[in-house]
Amino acid sequence: MGTTRMDRRFFLKTAGAAAGSAATVQVGCLTYFKKGRSASADRREVPTTCELCPNKCSAIAVVEGGLVKKLNPNPENPKSRDMLCARGNAAIKQVYDPDRLKQPMIRVGARGEGKWKPVSWDEAFDFAAKKLAEVKAKYGPEGTLWSSTEGFQEVFFKNLGLAFGSPNLVRHPTLCLASVNLAYSATFGTVPSFDLLNSRYVIMSGANRFESIITPDTMDLIGGVMERKAKLIYLDPRFTVTASKADEWYPVKPGTDLAFILAMIHVIIAENRHSKEFVAAYTTGFDQLVEHVKQYTPEWAERETEIPARDIIRIAREFSDAAPRSLYYAGRRSSWYQNDFQMRRAQAILNAIVGNWDQLGGMVPNAKLPKGEFLFMPWDEPKAPRVDEIDKHFPLAAKGDGVYLKLRENVLSGKPYPVKAWMVYKQDPMNAMPDQAKTLKMIEGMDFIAVIDVQMSDMAWYADVVFPESVYLERTDPVEVMPGIWPAVVYRQQVVKPIHDTKPNLEIVQGLAKRLGLSDYFDFTIEQWVDAEFKELPIPLAAEHMKKHGVWAASGQPSYGKTLTPDHRFVTKTGKIEIFSERLQEAGYDPLPVYSAPKQPPENRFRLILGRVGYFTHANQSNNVWLNEFMKENDLWINPKPAARMNIKDGSYVTVTSSVGAVKLRARVTEEIRPDCVFMLHGFGKKSKMQSLVYNVGASDAVLLETAWDQVSGNAAFHETFVNVATA
Amino acid sequence: MDIRKRRYALVIDSRKCINCKACVVACKAENRVPIGDFRNWINEERQGEYPKLRIDFEPEQCHHCEHPSCVRVCPTGASWQRKDGIVLVYADDCIGCRYCMIACPYDARYFDEESSTVGKCTLCSHRVDKGGIPACVETCPSKVRVFGDLDDPTSRIHELLATRRYHVKEPQTGNGPQLYYLV
Amino acid sequence: MHEFNWGLLIVIYLFLGGLSAGLFFAAGLANYLEVDGQPAYPRIARMGALLAPWPVAFGSALLILDLGTMHRFYKLFLHFRWESPMSIGTWLLTLFTALAFVYCYAWLPEDWRQKLFSRLPTTWKLIHHLNVDLSAYRKTFAMIGFPLSIGVGIYTGVLLGAVSARPFWNTNLVAQMFLFSALSSGTAALLLALVLDRRNPVEQRDLKFLVWLDVIFISLELFIILPYLIHGSLSVLAVKQALWLILGGPYTLVFWVFFLGFGLLVPLGIEVYELAPSLLKGKAFHGDRNLALAASALVLFGGFLLRYIFVYAGQLSSFHRMGMLR
Ligand SMILES: Nc1nc2c(c(=O)[nH]1)N[C@H]1C(S)=C(S)[C@@H](COP(=O)(O)OP(=O)(O)OC[C@H]3O[C@@H](n4cnc5c(=O)[nH]c(N)nc54)[C@H](O)[C@@H]3O)O[C@H]1N2
Ligand SMILES: Nc1nc2c(c(=O)[nH]1)N[C@H]1C(S)=C(S)[C@@H](COP(=O)(O)OP(=O)(O)OC[C@H]3O[C@@H](n4cnc5c(=O)[nH]c(N)nc54)[C@H](O)[C@@H]3O)O[C@H]1N2
Ligand code: SF4
Ligand code: SF4
Ligand code: SF4
Ligand code: SF4
Ligand code: SF4
Ligand SMILES: [Mo]
Repeated sequence: MGTTRMDRRFFLKTAGAAAGSAATVQVGCLTYFKKGRSASADRREVPTTCELCPNKCSAIAVVEGGLVKKLNPNPENPKSRDMLCARGNAAIKQVYDPDRLKQPMIRVGARGEGKWKPVSWDEAFDFAAKKLAEVKAKYGPEGTLWSSTEGFQEVFFKNLGLAFGSPNLVRHPTLCLASVNLAYSATFGTVPSFDLLNSRYVIMSGANRFESIITPDTMDLIGGVMERKAKLIYLDPRFTVTASKADEWYPVKPGTDLAFILAMIHVIIAENRHSKEFVAAYTTGFDQLVEHVKQYTPEWAERETEIPARDIIRIAREFSDAAPRSLYYAGRRSSWYQNDFQMRRAQAILNAIVGNWDQLGGMVPNAKLPKGEFLFMPWDEPKAPRVDEIDKHFPLAAKGDGVYLKLRENVLSGKPYPVKAWMVYKQDPMNAMPDQAKTLKMIEGMDFIAVIDVQMSDMAWYADVVFPESVYLERTDPVEVMPGIWPAVVYRQQVVKPIHDTKPNLEIVQGLAKRLGLSDYFDFTIEQWVDAEFKELPIPLAAEHMKKHGVWAASGQPSYGKTLTPDHRFVTKTGKIEIFSERLQEAGYDPLPVYSAPKQPPENRFRLILGRVGYFTHANQSNNVWLNEFMKENDLWINPKPAARMNIKDGSYVTVTSSVGAVKLRARVTEEIRPDCVFMLHGFGKKSKMQSLVYNVGASDAVLLETAWDQVSGNAAFHETFVNVATA
Repeated sequence: MDIRKRRYALVIDSRKCINCKACVVACKAENRVPIGDFRNWINEERQGEYPKLRIDFEPEQCHHCEHPSCVRVCPTGASWQRKDGIVLVYADDCIGCRYCMIACPYDARYFDEESSTVGKCTLCSHRVDKGGIPACVETCPSKVRVFGDLDDPTSRIHELLATRRYHVKEPQTGNGPQLYYLV
Repeated sequence: MHEFNWGLLIVIYLFLGGLSAGLFFAAGLANYLEVDGQPAYPRIARMGALLAPWPVAFGSALLILDLGTMHRFYKLFLHFRWESPMSIGTWLLTLFTALAFVYCYAWLPEDWRQKLFSRLPTTWKLIHHLNVDLSAYRKTFAMIGFPLSIGVGIYTGVLLGAVSARPFWNTNLVAQMFLFSALSSGTAALLLALVLDRRNPVEQRDLKFLVWLDVIFISLELFIILPYLIHGSLSVLAVKQALWLILGGPYTLVFWVFFLGFGLLVPLGIEVYELAPSLLKGKAFHGDRNLALAASALVLFGGFLLRYIFVYAGQLSSFHRMGMLR
């Protein structure tokens, strides 16, 4: 996920260039984009960028009578491929949702009791600044925690935390994709994109692309698979929509994908099907791999995965035959198992040995576009080490993102030092983290909690002060470069003025900074910031173009094979693609992926697995009336065999219990899941009464999930929880 | 001012549909369809026994029938058909008798409680008349629906119908439905 | 998607429309049949004429109440759409109701009419011009009314039967079924009125006439239902599936036991039982008051159920592959 880094080095390097950029600002400038439609008197069309999920699709907002009436896809964005999904279309309701946050509020009752006092922004800022200062005085700046999820204005929030002096910024990746990112980085020195548009053979392990929408992969895959250009092999314990479109679906035994991949490597090497030239020219450690995978026979893998050996052999052959236009797709959310990093590493290695690197229809290193940056006063490095002790426990993990679950453990134990204030931006740890009771305990231990959100999330419900951010259609945000096979730049500009007493995050940060004596670091307007970014875009008349079009994409076909030159150095220790990784070995991890069988649920218990549907984002869109219509309540998927055994009827209520919590929800008795798993969707059973459609409706999976993480990346392991199911 | 004859229709490639509901929400926004009512929807058919399973999705909306039974039964003429095939309801003449709803074999109409008249897919005629395409067609990630003019030999749907096999739903109703489903 | 768009109001409307048609038809018939130049059944003729307009008038009011936009119902009269059963029905019903009222007026006993007009203020000159004796035109009105009442009886069935979208309805047998049911209901209503009219003792002649008439109508109705079921079972899949609604589905019990059993066969049995002595042994007809009461009430009940079953089950039926399941 692309983030904007603002570090000291960059500041020093380009400090001079910034001065002029502030001058040419056009405040609140809206250029109306025409798409060949006649415009009524007050009809405007404003190009902007969707924010309902991380995909950043380009949208054109139709405004009539000062109201957002419609969002249309903007065909100019190659990543969003002229589409808006259900959520993107429903963003209008985010503006006009009666449940949305409308003014700052300070808690008056007990935490979570739901008694709020609407206050002025000044009051809210004064209150928060006083509390933060108190914590700082008592525990130092490291006594504050700043957690956030990616968003165009996240940078301001993070910068406030850094300027405040806290080392404890923690972001969503270790709840999401940290293990897959680290695995590909460890192998290729970068995380590539996957050229699904041109691939001829795709294998996916639980990457539910047709429900978990990722642009342009979802659209490219549907084009490829349904136009019979590509073959799709899909492994998932559930029969997802992706499974239903796949040529072959394997209800793999959960947590054993690694065995499947290792056996594929075994077959490919045993049958001499790897790309010898590529392996010789660009990789290191292949010989160790040959020895290493001898033990991982297809017959052995069949016992582990329940996928027939002959299928594994055939798939391995077809895969290598189709190479380089074949892919073992990386997947996005890899917060699965405790050995997840090694599973993703094995994928990366499998891809490498058939030589699909930097090839049409293979993996492609992301093309990037330059962007200017607004320059501001640098702050000092924080003095304290991180509270999650990332250096000690996860030496290879991305420092800036932190390791969320380990961090929670340490905060709860007060070691290595107490953390007593929690600032949250655009994140709902109550639902995004496993073991909600534990998160509540962490909340209880806090002297102060502030949440910046657009709705009363469960996290906000437990905060001391809630800062209502203006929703994206009411904001102008920083420019975002989206690296990829078809790199693009997108811009989000204000479509309508805020309809309530809300502010964009930058102004919230500035309000706090002013009272914390940090104003110097935030001495700019969003227009100045954006203008500085426009300055270095490789676009003629960038500002005008971006305001008029909302997006810019490099023209022409993507170029493949730029890294396939003898002198290309991969960003790894050896400069090669590392099949065998010394870096891993030195850090005390397996240098080649070693299989370890995951624990299996004892009899009469089930593995709880997670996933998504196309019309909700995580836990945060189920309260949107237009989307809630499609699912008013979540349910527990359970296979008819065990259901019959336990006398569970479709639609009846069941109690689900894990070692950390219990919930009650309806059963959905369905053939579409393995008999040893149960599944439930995110976003229901809300604690917040200001999510009126889903408050106390259905149940939250976060209540049930136990705390576990991947050893190398620290990524949460969400699929390691076993539950009891009983009729309620 | 093109006075050439037109016959609008949709070609639908259901196999590509991923049940994402983008088309449904797009329609809702574009046409202010009330909560609980739908101008378009996705039929789901789930079959089989683990692990031999199958799911089919099939987007549907008003078929803009050649011989629309809804229009035939309407006692006031509020339901009517344009020359280009689009079937509409003129709300001012609609008395809310719901006869057309009963007469539509595809259940494509809904009763709008707010106006107490009947609502249905307009094929986004307000967009089409300005040279645009329907909202549901435009927003779809998989581009399942293709909109076009059957009487225009250069239209994409013309080409699809010429080169691919297709069927219409329940032709035995005699309505002459104009949603063409590719097989 | 699938829900009932038409409910009980429509059921009642169809029932009452048919009832009026039946009343008019039977009364007209009674007026027409003559013995020695005199109407053979004057009491029935008058009773029917006095009763006929009210059910349909009340039913039409209900229909208007059921409209989404009641205030726009006048639009029905701004259009005539020959393809729309409802449009035709609107006109037909209006004409029929008007005629039924005129006919009713023509049968008003002289003293009732005078009493009525004496209540109206004398200043309403125009109204008092209407105080005329129309009894001479009774036959003419009945003549005009026959086709209209048959039309209305058929129409209540055509309204459903013309809907090709609903396989349960989609056969012309529905119209005939509804017509005979309407005629039988009207006859039964007369029978009921006759028996309930305590001031005038029942004349066996009248009773026999109505029982006979009803037996004929019920038999005709039965002869339509049989082919309806057979034809449907041999028809295309959608119709076969639709018939399931009464052959195992949710309306099975109400169709077979309540409608066919209690609503048709039992009253038919009673009536045949009553007629049997006169028919087989040539004895004088001697109807039992209570049996006549039971039979007529059951026939009306059956007539109502027929509309109920057809309106509801019909809406559930569909050509749609997934329609029935949803
Ligand atoms: N149980 C379970 N846990 C999970 C997952 C799962 O599938 N199941 N998935 C994991 C994954 S992959 C991820 S990425 C994380 C995501 O976890 P989060 O980042 O917490 O999830 P979101 O729901 O995307 O966003 C959280 C909050 O952002 C708010 N928000 C939305 N738009 C704006 C805005 O413009 N401004 C502000 N200030 N706030 C806004 C929303 O209202 C919501 O409350 O969750 C992880 N945790
Ligand atoms: N509509 C929608 N789209 C989204 C998001 C959203 O919230 N809504 N979120 C976005 C984000 S932040 C992310 S990270 C991505 C996530 O997108 P994905 O990476 O596709 O992850 P999930 O959707 O969580 O799907 C995980 C799948 O893995 C399966 N699974 C569980 N255990 C195993 C196993 O052991 N082996 C195999 N092979 N499969 C297993 C589950 O059944 C589930 O179907 O989606 C993105 N796109
Ligand atoms: S995928 Fe949907 S929600 Fe995500 S950015 Fe695109 S339109 Fe918005
Ligand atoms: S938008 Fe397209 S893919 Fe999504 S549900 Fe509608 S037709 Fe299917
Ligand atoms: S689908 Fe139904 S509403 Fe649409 S034209 Fe045909 S009959 Fe009329
Ligand atoms: S509900 Fe309206 S459009 Fe439908 S038949 Fe009645 S008057 Fe016509
Ligand atoms: S064509 Fe327009 S009105 Fe019809 S379903 Fe699509 S978006 Fe809705
Ligand atoms: Mo994620």
